Amino acid sequence: MKRIILAIFLLGLFANAQNTPIKKDTLNVALDEVIVIAAKKKKIETEMKMAVSVDEFLASSDNISFIKRGAYAWEPLLNNMSTERSTVTIDGMHIFGACTDKMDPVTSYVESNNLSDIDIKSGQEGSMHGATVAGSINLKRKSTSFGLNKKWNGGYQTGYEFNNDQFFNLGKLSYSGDKLVVDGSVSYRRAQNYTDGNNDEVEHSQYKKFNASLGVAYKTSPLSSVRVDAIFDKAKDVGYPALPMDLSLSRALITSVAYKRFYEDGPIKVWDTKIYFNAIEHYMDDTTRPENLVHMDMPGWSTTYGLVSKVNFKKDDYASEVQLNAYNNLSIAEMRMYPQDRSERTMFAYSWPWVTTSYAGLSMSNSLDVSNISQLNFGGTLGLNYNYSKYVEFNWIFHPGAPQKKTRFLPNIYASYQLNMSGFDFSVGGGYGHRAPSVSEGYGYYIYNSFDRYDYIGDPDLKNEVSYEVNASAGFKNKRASIQAKANYFYIQDYIIGRILSTGSPMNYQSVGVKGYTSLDHATLFNFSLNGSYAILQDLHWKGSLTYARGLDENKNNLPFIRPLSYQTSLHFSYGKFGFLTSLNGDLKQVDYSPEYGEDETPAYTNWNVSADYTFHIKDHKTVLQVGAENIFNTYYSTYADWGNIPRMGRNVFTSLKIDL
Amino acid sequence: MRLLHLYVIAVFVVVASCTIDKTDYEAEISTETTEYIDFKEVTSITSGDYTISIEALNGSLYKGYNEIHLKITNTQANGDLENSEVTFLPIMTDVNGNKVSCPHEYNLPYDATEEYYKGYAVFTDESDSTVSWQLYIGFVDNDQSYMIDHTITVEEQTNLNLNMTAFTGNDNEQYFIALISPQSPSVAENDLVAGIYKYNPPTDPAGTFPDPSQFSYSIVQNHTLLLDPRMPEPSMGNHSSPNNVDLTQQSDGLYHGVVNYTMTGNWTLNFILQDEDGQTIKGTEVSTEFTPGIEGEKSELYIDILF
Repeated sequence: MKRIILAIFLLGLFANAQNTPIKKDTLNVALDEVIVIAAKKKKIETEMKMAVSVDEFLASSDNISFIKRGAYAWEPLLNNMSTERSTVTIDGMHIFGACTDKMDPVTSYVESNNLSDIDIKSGQEGSMHGATVAGSINLKRKSTSFGLNKKWNGGYQTGYEFNNDQFFNLGKLSYSGDKLVVDGSVSYRRAQNYTDGNNDEVEHSQYKKFNASLGVAYKTSPLSSVRVDAIFDKAKDVGYPALPMDLSLSRALITSVAYKRFYEDGPIKVWDTKIYFNAIEHYMDDTTRPENLVHMDMPGWSTTYGLVSKVNFKKDDYASEVQLNAYNNLSIAEMRMYPQDRSERTMFAYSWPWVTTSYAGLSMSNSLDVSNISQLNFGGTLGLNYNYSKYVEFNWIFHPGAPQKKTRFLPNIYASYQLNMSGFDFSVGGGYGHRAPSVSEGYGYYIYNSFDRYDYIGDPDLKNEVSYEVNASAGFKNKRASIQAKANYFYIQDYIIGRILSTGSPMNYQSVGVKGYTSLDHATLFNFSLNGSYAILQDLHWKGSLTYARGLDENKNNLPFIRPLSYQTSLHFSYGKFGFLTSLNGDLKQVDYSPEYGEDETPAYTNWNVSADYTFHIKDHKTVLQVGAENIFNTYYSTYADWGNIPRMGRNVFTSLKIDL
Repeated sequence: MRLLHLYVIAVFVVVASCTIDKTDYEAEISTETTEYIDFKEVTSITSGDYTISIEALNGSLYKGYNEIHLKITNTQANGDLENSEVTFLPIMTDVNGNKVSCPHEYNLPYDATEEYYKGYAVFTDESDSTVSWQLYIGFVDNDQSYMIDHTITVEEQTNLNLNMTAFTGNDNEQYFIALISPQSPSVAENDLVAGIYKYNPPTDPAGTFPDPSQFSYSIVQNHTLLLDPRMPEPSMGNHSSPNNVDLTQQSDGLYHGVVNYTMTGNWTLNFILQDEDGQTIKGTEVSTEFTPGIEGEKSELYIDILF
């Protein structure tokens, strides 16, 4: 295994060497300038709300939708595909949740004030960080640049939301010296149960979350720096109204050490290498649910260490990034059931029987300016994925003789062509890629899914899921208006999904049967989005978007969790120091639902939201005060992806205050 | 470099401070089950010039199946007695003075490589103040027959995976099923081994005690033991496991099958014993319904295990 990884590494070096042009580049880039450019990023806030959670921010993206099990830790679906099909990383670092029920997506371990941007790539273009089908979500951490004029920077944000008595405080501070940079952030959120549109309290929807991050960078030479980063996140007493159990504690420690070097001459511009380690603990708790027939402990652990090393090249019209990615993850999840007579012996099993996943991949992305108006992007990844199940006897119960070790090759390639002329832009692209089954799909053991109420069993022998993808976009933009349409189509061979196993007998008392992860011959997915904006007046802007998706299995039956036709339209008006926004968003009736996978028809809903903000200065500090309301009509609704049809939040008045220090 | 040191230390501290300990799985499955691996001497009987050493797993005899190794030494000749005709008969005397035996191998064959006589006994009861067990061992040396009897202690079998059951079949015959393996099951496919025996009622009147024809047992041949393992605990809702294999007789005379345990805890092995023609001797089919909150129904013929 190690040898193969080494071989890939060497191959990578060789490949790089071949790409290095001999001609000297005269372009002179100073380190500081590059960092400043890199630091110019979007803020984590939506137009509607300036103090948003990471989930709310992601929700404002077109190709992200969410499975919601409560008010906390939503599972992001990219291109209407679940998290197994996408890679979610923090600054390129792989992190895997420790919960078998996906109660802790990676996005739940960061906070909006330690992120600078979220980079979403659709389809195979997202394979840079590892094999994927749906694409990638890379959460970018804040990093202040060296030698800013203003040495100390900071911000403080506080707010209150009335519906669920949510109170939050987010603080950040940074120091920028010539040689040393320090970034720190602390945040705390707590919320009580929210109430739905019928003014009924949704029990078990409270949460508490603490998050802190620290980053220290030191300039080791004019062109190189070392950076150490750490995020600590702790969530306590988190309710999941859609599940039969809650979370008593989840903790994450996400750390990395990076070395970055810039090159003044030659085609190599930056070389950035990072080693990282993260450990996640996740302890479910059902003592808050006395109605449960059986008390059960379900702790989970996920530990990952890895390496990311990337080199950026640029030469005339050609730019390229080569990235080496290697990581090792150990996922453990236990379940222990307590008989009603507690003196009796407890019942124990692993839902993840100590499953190790090692991955090494070499990726490359290239862009070539074919002419002034056109660009060709292409790239690919060759990855090696290795799984090892320590207690493989658990897997043998349903799959006798399944191998304890499994090695898979995961190739991914893509290409796209872009054309820009006089305000119009067009692109077409395609991709092909494999992904390995996730730990649950491959090695999961009686993982209870409260959505369709089946216990799920993994199959170590599942084939790689193979995706064939085409995408296209067309848009037009001028000073006042813009419109863009995007579409993609995936043909996914050996699509992994749970199918009822007649031989199994459920273990969790709520379940109705056992499903095994199996491969469908194929499935298809189509996503479409339309975005528009128009400046009606100088201070009055309109924005709107429309998304549509359809997913079908081999028998032309609907796939689950495909978003029905949804829309969003908003109007923003600014007047002096005041800003006003009103928006409507909603889904149409979910016609193409999938009863086979536990879905029922979800009715249409519309939400109307308003907000107003006022900007002023306290001494020299810019301060923004915002007041708004979501779901003004107090509509009772739940969306197609609300686990167990739990109702969403009713009318919510929110206030927040932000001060830049 | 110092940064790196700090980093490593910080990581170590946090990782070492997990709030809930991971389960030690190997320790977990061995807490409830005692494994008996080594044969040790149970007792040694000296009679005249002869010493008889009886060995069993763990140096004890338990209720249920016991493999027995026997060595006979002539203390005068200072040598082991080989290839003798050794007979072995356990007799239980109950509170009323009734004498019965249990499934056992009467004529013990000699294992030349291991240099002992090998047999088995399936003790049906533990020794206590009212129940006592006596061994009658016979052998021949220099054309002279010897008979030695000795009181033994049959202990309670605490490992339920070596549990046994005795029952009267629909044919009015007396049957015995004793579990032999696995001693310490795993959450896995386990090879399940059981011995199935029956009592042969005497056809002739009793001769001088102990008359072996009055205490005859034999291995049940070519039957099938249908298996349906379930967890009886109400919260487990009659949970079962897939891919189990019914027990059939193999060349060693024992019945072999496969049982899958999906988690640790209390399990009931529901059986149906069928003869070679598929006629049911004992046992009933149990419900396959998943019934949370209701104690699982058991077959007429079952053995409870625990691990």
